[in-house]
Amino acid sequence: MKQKETAVYTTKKRSMMQESMHRLVKNKTAMAGLIVLLIVITLCALAGFICPEGYDKQDIMNKFISPCAEYPLGTDNLGRSMLARVLYGGRYSLFIGLAATIVAAGIGIIMGSVAAFYGGLVDNLIMRFLDAFNAIPDLLLAIAISSVMGGGVLNAILAIGISSVPAYARTARGPILAVKEQEFVEAARALDARDRRIIFRHILPNVLSPIIVHVSTGISGGIITAAALSFLGLGVQAPTPEWGALLSASRQYIREYPYLVTVPGVCIAMVVLAMNLFGDGLRDALDPKLKY
Amino acid sequence: MGRYILKRLLMMIPVLLSVVLLIFILQFITPGDPAKLQLGTDATNEEIENWHEKYGLNDPFAVQFTRYVWGIVSRGDFGNSWRNGQPITQEIISRWPTTFLLAILTTLVSVISGTLLGIYAALHRGSLGDAIARVIGILGISLPNFWFALMMILLFAVRLQWLPVSGFYGPLYWILPAGTLGVLGASSQMRITRSAMLDNINADFVRTARAKGQEERVITYHHILRNALIPILTNVGSRFAQNLTGTMILEQIFAIPGIGTLMVLAINKRDYPQLRASVILVAATVSVVNLLIDIAYAAADPRVKATFKSSSGNFLKFKKRAG
Amino acid sequence: MAYLNLDRLRRWTFKVKGNDMSDTEKILSIKDLTVHYLPPEEPACKAVNGVSFDIRKGETLGLVGETGAGKTTIALSILRLVQSPPGKILSGSIEFNGENLLEASEAHMRKIRGSEISMIFQDPMTALNPIDSVGDQIAEVVHLHSKCSRAEARIKVEEMLELVGIDKSRYKDYPHQFSGGMKQRVIIAMALACSPELLIADEPTTALDVTIQAQVLDMMNDLKKKLGSSVLLITHDLGIVAEMCDKVVVMYAGQVVEMGDKRSIFKHTSHPYTKGLFGSLPGAFPDSDRLKPIKGLMPDPAALPAGCKFADRCEFCTEQCRAREIGLTEVSEGHYVRCVLAEGGNHH
Repeated sequence: MKQKETAVYTTKKRSMMQESMHRLVKNKTAMAGLIVLLIVITLCALAGFICPEGYDKQDIMNKFISPCAEYPLGTDNLGRSMLARVLYGGRYSLFIGLAATIVAAGIGIIMGSVAAFYGGLVDNLIMRFLDAFNAIPDLLLAIAISSVMGGGVLNAILAIGISSVPAYARTARGPILAVKEQEFVEAARALDARDRRIIFRHILPNVLSPIIVHVSTGISGGIITAAALSFLGLGVQAPTPEWGALLSASRQYIREYPYLVTVPGVCIAMVVLAMNLFGDGLRDALDPKLKY
Repeated sequence: MGRYILKRLLMMIPVLLSVVLLIFILQFITPGDPAKLQLGTDATNEEIENWHEKYGLNDPFAVQFTRYVWGIVSRGDFGNSWRNGQPITQEIISRWPTTFLLAILTTLVSVISGTLLGIYAALHRGSLGDAIARVIGILGISLPNFWFALMMILLFAVRLQWLPVSGFYGPLYWILPAGTLGVLGASSQMRITRSAMLDNINADFVRTARAKGQEERVITYHHILRNALIPILTNVGSRFAQNLTGTMILEQIFAIPGIGTLMVLAINKRDYPQLRASVILVAATVSVVNLLIDIAYAAADPRVKATFKSSSGNFLKFKKRAG
Repeated sequence: MAYLNLDRLRRWTFKVKGNDMSDTEKILSIKDLTVHYLPPEEPACKAVNGVSFDIRKGETLGLVGETGAGKTTIALSILRLVQSPPGKILSGSIEFNGENLLEASEAHMRKIRGSEISMIFQDPMTALNPIDSVGDQIAEVVHLHSKCSRAEARIKVEEMLELVGIDKSRYKDYPHQFSGGMKQRVIIAMALACSPELLIADEPTTALDVTIQAQVLDMMNDLKKKLGSSVLLITHDLGIVAEMCDKVVVMYAGQVVEMGDKRSIFKHTSHPYTKGLFGSLPGAFPDSDRLKPIKGLMPDPAALPAGCKFADRCEFCTEQCRAREIGLTEVSEGHYVRCVLAEGGNHH
């Protein structure tokens, strides 16, 4: 039972957006998350400068060195600098998460919008099709697709992307359906507005917010799924230092050299946490009635 | 009510069929010859042909699909593993209870602790306890479960030596796997519970109950919580599905003899029949659990019970609006 | 603004009959009540400022005013249901049968709520718990205030249902199976189940159709007479006041601006605001074809002006009006007005 109504915005999209942005900026935890994210992205982008030797430079003589001044994050079993592996690996993790989300959101939103807007048989068919995906948990589907398609960055992106499509379709469909049935759309039709006008001025502002929120949490989900796939040996292949792959490779040394396992995990956790904080802040900013 | 259950069970069939279809299609469109993967690069053409014959891979798609489905439906036969040629069904039956029970245990931990924490946070909104709960909440959904499990092993099994590292020989061995996954799952449960409670905390009927002179405790549980149950129950369903998957992944970390370890082996060896079987099993279990939860909705909310008696179409619409 | 059933008003003007209430005892006495809402980081909302009035046994008091005048806050304060943060009862006393409710313990208040003082709210659609049957919800209040068995409670509930015109076979039905008017009847049944001495009704018919309104009001009147309860009726509809109330308190911007028995208010209207209310009713000026509303808006309770709060909208406003806070003047027995003009002895 819904006590709260769906927030319905008027067509003054710009001033609503400005207000939301203002609320977001005032939210300290969200801004902290954003800053951490930006720092991480910058560091990974500058990996070439910070660790010009690359992620694969082996130095067996110096293997298993704990974090110290020369090797800030230590070295792994082949003497490779963990700092380098983590920084370059971050590029892969972040990229896969982002790309998979774009794929999933792109396909999903189109499907959901079409289903909701045209309703009837089209809606039924699409939803039945998506229902089949309901029974398989997202991660398992990604695993299944990935194991069939094989390894590699592109396949990982596709696997994660496809497994996330149903969620985005539902996110897009819900608000559109709700708004479609509301009175002001009927009113607009009564005034003989064309379909496209209705979509842009009335429906879109209400759909954007849930989608934006979903995307921001979706990227973090994508990063974790990518890490999980690599951890299982799917997805990226050695020696690509994606963070999940780093975890998988270091697992066996957990007793003697725990930093090898702690460091990549902390990176994943940190980025995902920052993204979730930002995503929560985004949700609060876009729909103040949900302010908890 | 009975008719509704029957209807839902029947509806499960096309869903599961499409799941199998999906997997089959995926397999068919992927390039590469599985025989080469299994037999090795120096296999002769004859060996490859024999392998294809043995596993019926020379038949057209429709035939393979129908044969497979018929095998499951009539004999419960999931075919033979490509890895070792053994019938899959045997292994699955012996390992399934372990995974399933562990998943249930994990879900219980998540749901009970998450719900209680969520209620506390909602009632004491803005307090320190609420802030702590929300921090736990957001941490829990941010940490990768397999990494967290490794960290917990490091802490409790290696450093403190309170618990065994791996294996599955008794209740003590259940604590780490069920605990780590359960605690992480509790976070999302807490968030959902908290927000569902907050939705109802300022409801008009709560004010009416207070104006009648009702005590706060009864108001919290009988009035607010019971009205918050629908989103909470929905989350229990998705929680179980995620915990089941999580359990399967964690099994190889904790060396637990369940479906998960089998699946990881299948992944490594590209043993598609094994993979198929695992996925189908999970899909079937999740569907049944979701059905049970939908039935629980009816017990929680009489309006839902009413829609059951009319037609199930209304209920699904109701669920999508409410959840 | 308000809808006035002209018929009702005409009916009443022909049979003016006041009850002589001066000897009956007071059951509720509000003195100098001040309630503010203090949201963090925002200016305080001064909802109720120094309000005093009494209710006698068996009397129906109409609390009249626009939305935002502070009526609901007063009602909630009586039962101590004001949401606390951000609301705060800053000063004053509310005496009920001799004791000050503002100093009572929470446990004591719980005993009073629902049994000695009951309240019904404006919107019947959301006031009932959707997952409990209506019978159980009425039974809840019975069980809370008497030690009876389930069977006895059930009998009482069925009695109440019949009293409000609902068939007792609907005990097990759920709120969503009732219409708005029926829901309000259930709520009334719930409120009266323990025969309260005082019933607070906050705009009980505003959300209902006009025809249902009449039914519900008649029913309330009947029950009130049967049970001998007093009623605090909050409304913005002068027609309802005409029909149901013995005494009237008119509120504006958190203060009482005029109060007296019905006859005084209707026949000897003194405060410009009250006159404006009567004047803005459709049918007040049958020959004109436009409504005559009071121009302007009520001031923001977070930014109340000094002096008379009605000054900006008042046609008789003078300099004095804004210069100082105005007190209540008794212009005739029991009839009080908060106006500079009344002080001067000039009342119209």
